[in-house]
Amino acid sequence: MKTIFTLVVFSILFVLTGCVQETKNIDMTNDNAKAVLALDYRDFDQAATEMVQSLLSSGKLAKPEGGQYVLTTGVITNDTMQRIDTDLLTAKIEEDITNSGQVVMTSAIGGKDSNRDSMVNDLRDVRDSAKGEEFQQDTLPNKGTLIAPDLSLSGKIYQRNLSYDKKTQQVEYYFQLKITDLKSGLRFWQKEVLIGKRGSNKAVAW
Amino acid sequence: MKMLLLVACMIATVVLTGCNEESCDGRVQVQDKVKSDNLGGNIITRPFVAAGSGMLGHGIEITDVKQTRNEAGLLEVSVIGFNKAYNPNRFEYYTEWLDESGAVIESATDNWMPFSVNARSNFSFKVVSKSPNAVDFRINTRKNRKVK
Repeated sequence: MKTIFTLVVFSILFVLTGCVQETKNIDMTNDNAKAVLALDYRDFDQAATEMVQSLLSSGKLAKPEGGQYVLTTGVITNDTMQRIDTDLLTAKIEEDITNSGQVVMTSAIGGKDSNRDSMVNDLRDVRDSAKGEEFQQDTLPNKGTLIAPDLSLSGKIYQRNLSYDKKTQQVEYYFQLKITDLKSGLRFWQKEVLIGKRGSNKAVAW
Repeated sequence: MKMLLLVACMIATVVLTGCNEESCDGRVQVQDKVKSDNLGGNIITRPFVAAGSGMLGHGIEITDVKQTRNEAGLLEVSVIGFNKAYNPNRFEYYTEWLDESGAVIESATDNWMPFSVNARSNFSFKVVSKSPNAVDFRINTRKNRKVK
């Protein structure tokens, strides 16, 4: 009886292991998978690409007197029902506009921790403390060496849920970014990218 | 009799799909149901015309590609075309930027971008290189299956 029971258990296990969904890596370059109601990496890629294209073609980052602007990333508000790290959007934009040669990003000041390198201030704290004497003085940064940013990138991601019909909901995601001249307070550039989705009411958009 | 009518409609469709009423200025596009009725816009014949267009495999046609360098020294490419189909065409395009040696310049925002064109309409899109080192480009397209 025991043997039969063991055989049945093993048979069930054998059958069930074949039903487990196989894990596969996503082909990030040619991902033709269905859309999801929440924001996925393809939406961030699309929004970032449209932002970069708009910014680079606007010519607003080309400094009239030559040279490069210093840009910091300010506050990007996540006004959606999802837990989103806004760096998913800004990291791509920062990388591309830096590589375009038109701006230099600063890590000395920023809207959130990930935009700042705490070592910039830590090293200065060390310089001003008793520990500073342990370092060769010419290897420590002098006072007044940090460069303040000319421009700030800020904005928000906003989500709107609407009832489309009895079975369908519509979710609209607004990606809004702007660049402000920190000396004059004037807005250099701004862009909104809208991504809309429709799906089952049963699906959850967060 | 029904079969004959269907065949006649199909033949008329195949013959007339290229004879759409043109605007006097190509820059102004007047869509079906806005302009005077024709085979492609008529409520009865439209399904047959669309089917005929599908049978003929009508799709987009690239009519011009313009390349300029902007003030910041970045390469800008404008792609201009026409959707010959009687249905909207939803596709994605992917741009690769090449440097002087022909090598691809990689960037963080290299991805397929969605684009949608109305039936029998002109379209254009512009892409800007993300590096001043770009001297040439390649653009690839594919059907957009995520959008309906």
